[in-house]
Amino acid sequence: MTLTQEKPDYKRIVSDGQITAGSGGIIGKWLGEVKRRLGDSAPELKQIQNNAASEFTKTGLPGKKDEDYKYTNIRQYLQEDFIASKDGLNIDKTSIAPYLLKDAVNLVFINDRYAAELSNREMLPEEVSAGDLFATPDTLRDKVTDNFNKAAGRSDNPMALLNTALAANGFYIRVPKNFSCVVPVHILHITSGDGKRLYNPRNLVYMEENSQLTLMESYYNTGKGRIFTNSATELFIKDNGALENYIMQDEGAGSMHNDLRFYTIGRGAKTNCVTVSFNGGMLRNDCNVFIPGEHAEAHLNGLFILKGNNHTDNHTLVEHLAPNCSSKELYKGIIGDTATGVFNGKIYVHPQAQKTDAYQSNKNVLTGDKATIDTKPQLEIYADDVRCSHGTTTGKLDGDALFYLESRGINKQLAKKVLLQAFAKEVSDAIKNETFRAVVERKIDDYTA
Amino acid sequence: MNQMLEIKDLKVSIEGKQILKGVNLTVNKGEVHAIMGPNGSGKSTLASVIAGREDYTVDNGSITFNGKDILELSADERAKEGLFLAFQYPVEIPGVSTINFLKTALAEIRQYRGQPPMEAKDFLKLMKEKQKLVEIEANLTGRSVNEGFSGGEKKRNEVFQMAMLEPALAIMDETDSGLDIDALRIVAEGVNKLRTGENAFIVITHYQRLLEYITPDFVHVLYKGRIVKSGGRELALELESKGYDWIKKEFPEPAV
Repeated sequence: MTLTQEKPDYKRIVSDGQITAGSGGIIGKWLGEVKRRLGDSAPELKQIQNNAASEFTKTGLPGKKDEDYKYTNIRQYLQEDFIASKDGLNIDKTSIAPYLLKDAVNLVFINDRYAAELSNREMLPEEVSAGDLFATPDTLRDKVTDNFNKAAGRSDNPMALLNTALAANGFYIRVPKNFSCVVPVHILHITSGDGKRLYNPRNLVYMEENSQLTLMESYYNTGKGRIFTNSATELFIKDNGALENYIMQDEGAGSMHNDLRFYTIGRGAKTNCVTVSFNGGMLRNDCNVFIPGEHAEAHLNGLFILKGNNHTDNHTLVEHLAPNCSSKELYKGIIGDTATGVFNGKIYVHPQAQKTDAYQSNKNVLTGDKATIDTKPQLEIYADDVRCSHGTTTGKLDGDALFYLESRGINKQLAKKVLLQAFAKEVSDAIKNETFRAVVERKIDDYTA
Repeated sequence: MNQMLEIKDLKVSIEGKQILKGVNLTVNKGEVHAIMGPNGSGKSTLASVIAGREDYTVDNGSITFNGKDILELSADERAKEGLFLAFQYPVEIPGVSTINFLKTALAEIRQYRGQPPMEAKDFLKLMKEKQKLVEIEANLTGRSVNEGFSGGEKKRNEVFQMAMLEPALAIMDETDSGLDIDALRIVAEGVNKLRTGENAFIVITHYQRLLEYITPDFVHVLYKGRIVKSGGRELALELESKGYDWIKKEFPEPAV
């Protein structure tokens, strides 16, 4: 199967699309276009996208009445007419340089589209293939594209359906069996431009048996417009593989970002995911981890720092389907001003997943009197021999610690910063790549000022 | 000027309840003052108020330090002026290393005093020198501030910080509480090594024990928010033998 197809011209979609019942407004217009456009694409993809589109017309956009979106009303955010277009590519090598990471392969995506001329892939080992998912070379079809939607397709999440239906851009990485990719791969995703725009990156990571990879992703928005990014990434880590995945989101108050992730972790495989989010206007991270292989290990770490009137919602679902696996989850929030944070983490242990060792923790510091956090840890356990626990704490900065620092000559503002940085450190320390960790620490420094 | 700290008719309350009911105290350069008293007499409140804790309301009186009205200053400014509080319960601060903590504090203090920033190698040299002086293990200062420290280690870390910051006046709030005799001796020896003719100490303690190691010039008894007795070293011994009941009997209803 191939995913190669014409890139959609979203401007045209908006102008001549038709409204599809049940989905309402602008999204319906896109779906109308997707259906029309798919006439020319590969039959397998056409079917997948058609199915997703038709499912989506039944669900519509998630809103307040959906339990999973109780505090993040996507429907409301997408009321406006968002468009996406091909412009915004006037970024040259000089202006992209500060965003690139040294000692890494940098794959650059500007406004969703792969920018080969801005990427540097000299360091990419020839064993590893990476690039534009929708231009995957024929030789890789079986390995990569056959897995398209194998994980996301299990979800009935409307945003996943929407992403699948509209998928036309994104990255893929494939690491072959027994190969350790020593050079980390950095995906730089920059949106820019004015007006209201929607982006829909769809990515796929396929790690064969006993392979290793460090994947770092940065999301920036440099434009002055309002953007909505609905990204989805499927990550398959086959038996005994090990993935380090770091995600940094710094898109500013003008951005809205719904990020979906689907990890499928094989027998004896390990994954460590660290998501750090700074002050997005609206950020929703859906991190889904399926553990069908025995003796697998998943670590999820998250940090979100919010000010102003911004909103961040972290949703995690860890599904234990096999015995003798472990999952450890730590999410920390620093919420200031009138910002709102959400954490909803669910651990689901299937009956066969005996000896599961699962832990989940959410800790929050409210730095503003009107800042709020809604936190909901959930355990659903259907096996009888497991160790599962969760905990959550929310409070202000510790007054005793603050006074302790002040009494040593450190002014209150700096003392607060020192404490917030210490609070954040537990999460940033989970980033093993020094270059990426330094970027994150610098941003923590900026955002706790 | 010889006079360092002058507290005049200090009345302090917390949540509407008056704790200090008119404290007077003068501390000169080179002196060691011990403040003793039964539980709940206001000893820790006095220490906290001098150091600048904001939870308390100063209803009346003044605190002058080296000629400055420090009630107008924030806690960090008081530290920068040369005040130091050794905490009764040193706070654990996970994620902040003692080295970075002290580096930040020293940088702030030096900047306030118009001194140039300290070179990294000079700072490390100073750390080593002071670690040796107060007999604190280097591995403790490499860890997060007080995290997982034993009671004795925490108190030793207080003395180490005091050695690093070289305050003019150090207030030691029940530094002896929870210490075994060996830890007590090490802490006290550290303090004695830091004594010069230029600095001063206020040692707050419930027991006379610490004063066997740190010899005070003056002993004050704080009871129900007032200093009811002052004297020399012998007052501490008298308290030890007679117990606080002696004070309680003598001052059943302190005059208002």
